[in-house]
Amino acid sequence: MSTGGHNRATTAGRLSVLVGALSVPAFVGVWELIARSRIVNAVLFPPPSTVAVAVLDWIHSGQFFGDLWASLFRVTVGFLIGTTGGIMLGMLTGRFRLVSSLLSPLFHILRPIPPIAFVPIVILWFGLSEAGKLFLVVWGVFFTVWLATHIGVQKVDRGLVRAALMLGTPRRQMLSEIILLGALPYIVVGLRTAVSISFYTLVAAELAGAFAGIVYRIEIAQQNMQTGQVMGGLAALGLLSFVADRSFAAIAERAVWWR
Amino acid sequence: MVAMMHNPLRPTSPLRLVDAPPEPSSAVPEATIRVENLSIVFDVPRGQVIAVDRVSLAVMPGEFVSLVGPSGCGKSTLLNAMAGLERPFEGEVMVAGKPMLAPRPDIGMVFQQPHLFPWKSVRRNIAHGPRALGKSRTEALRIADDLIDMIGLTKFASAYPHTLSGGMQQRVAIARALANQPRVLLMDEPFGALDAQTRAVMQDNLLELRDRINATIVFVTHDIDEAILLSDRVLIMSAGPGRILRDLSAGLPRPRSSAILTDPAYLALKRDCLDLIRTEGRKAFEQMETVT
Ligand SMILES: Nc1ncnc2c1ncn2[C@@H]1O[C@H](COP(=O)(O)OP(=O)(O)OP(=O)(O)O)[C@@H](O)[C@H]1O
Ligand SMILES: [Mg+2]
Repeated sequence: MSTGGHNRATTAGRLSVLVGALSVPAFVGVWELIARSRIVNAVLFPPPSTVAVAVLDWIHSGQFFGDLWASLFRVTVGFLIGTTGGIMLGMLTGRFRLVSSLLSPLFHILRPIPPIAFVPIVILWFGLSEAGKLFLVVWGVFFTVWLATHIGVQKVDRGLVRAALMLGTPRRQMLSEIILLGALPYIVVGLRTAVSISFYTLVAAELAGAFAGIVYRIEIAQQNMQTGQVMGGLAALGLLSFVADRSFAAIAERAVWWR
Repeated sequence: MVAMMHNPLRPTSPLRLVDAPPEPSSAVPEATIRVENLSIVFDVPRGQVIAVDRVSLAVMPGEFVSLVGPSGCGKSTLLNAMAGLERPFEGEVMVAGKPMLAPRPDIGMVFQQPHLFPWKSVRRNIAHGPRALGKSRTEALRIADDLIDMIGLTKFASAYPHTLSGGMQQRVAIARALANQPRVLLMDEPFGALDAQTRAVMQDNLLELRDRINATIVFVTHDIDEAILLSDRVLIMSAGPGRILRDLSAGLPRPRSSAILTDPAYLALKRDCLDLIRTEGRKAFEQMETVT
């Protein structure tokens, strides 16, 4: 009886794994069939095979790696600068009342403005330079990480702080160990959100005008009506952010190592 | 046996009595902890709460004093003031001759919750204090290893706190507080969250420990048995605002074990404590009735 239940459970489990593995191929197959059936306009909805050819051309032309590098650079450097700033300022505003009174109201006003809205002013300030694109990513990432850190610092167990005080923990170590690690679970959540924010600010940054980059390539392809290339670019972008999110999730799991 | 060697109950005046030992003459050693007319007030949204109301007391070197009182009467606040975690609103707290304005590493604290650093192993939790005070890593870990042996957790030296039971965690917290060799050890209901059996074992451990370390100990508890079993003196606090009602010398012999729980001197003392607490409880109740 119980073994029967157990078997049923594993059968259901196996089935769902199988279905999960087939989900994407099935979707691609249906798409291929529909695109070739002439129900839809194949120029606007190219079949996956056309997309694959476009992607291969992209790679062979040598532009792919240049575009990948340009986009990765913007996302990574922007993410690092923005999160470092966000963590540092979050520690300060979370820990020191005066710093918080000085900065928090300002940050709370700026935070809800969608970073994309800054594209016009960024073009005025930075032209089409890399600095402007980095600025957008940094800006987008900063507030999320700042807020997560700020809240995390305030939620650090008071008991831990008191215990550390009683043991003679110096001020420096209090901030760099007790407060930082105490807030780490919150910070990690903020960082994970920041990963996806950095990608959507990247899109805004490259659409605003660039000379290389995955989104830039999508835009060029669109202007040339190369829908296969457009979709190939989208797939590349999706794959890239998926990998980034997954690897960050794996890192985050280990970051809070004591859980 | 130990029959009444002297009357352990000093006659006391009613309420707000402050039964500090006589002023030290040249022969008597200076008190390790001296609380002088201490009041502590908290700001709350609607005004202020008096948590501790003009308390004075003294704890002599090497003494083990228990603070007993109903929940919310200000025991933790008083202890925190001795630790330098709470500033006096009025009056002062002197430890080892110096006023307490901030925590000091010569004063160790064990809280009601273990408050272990979750990101550190048992060993590194205990080594935290010596490291913070500038000892070398090797030296700090040696101190930690000695203490781990003493609390009997050798097998768990590299375990993380969340993998330990509550009793084990509290033992680590005690070892961590001892690692800085404090001259004063403050304990705030350290066994409050433990089950009866673990608690009994921990009390025995503490009695043993006390004979090995050379600290003056202030121990907060709800439990009168625990207070009498462990301490030289029991201070009974009134229902909030905290004041010291009575100062009872336990006057039981040391070394001590749970065998004294059937000792007549112990039973007399316990009866007296219970009477006092009952009258106090009734008083507090009547006060509430007249107020409303
Ligand atoms: N940080 C605080 N802010 C405001 N009021 C406080 C604060 N800490 C304590 N109090 C108040 O002071 C009084 C004494 O609290 P305290 O924690 O010292 O009691 P206690 O005797 O330790 O109680 P328990 O036995 O339940 O631990 C209570 O009325 C409590 O509400
Ligand atoms: Mg308390």
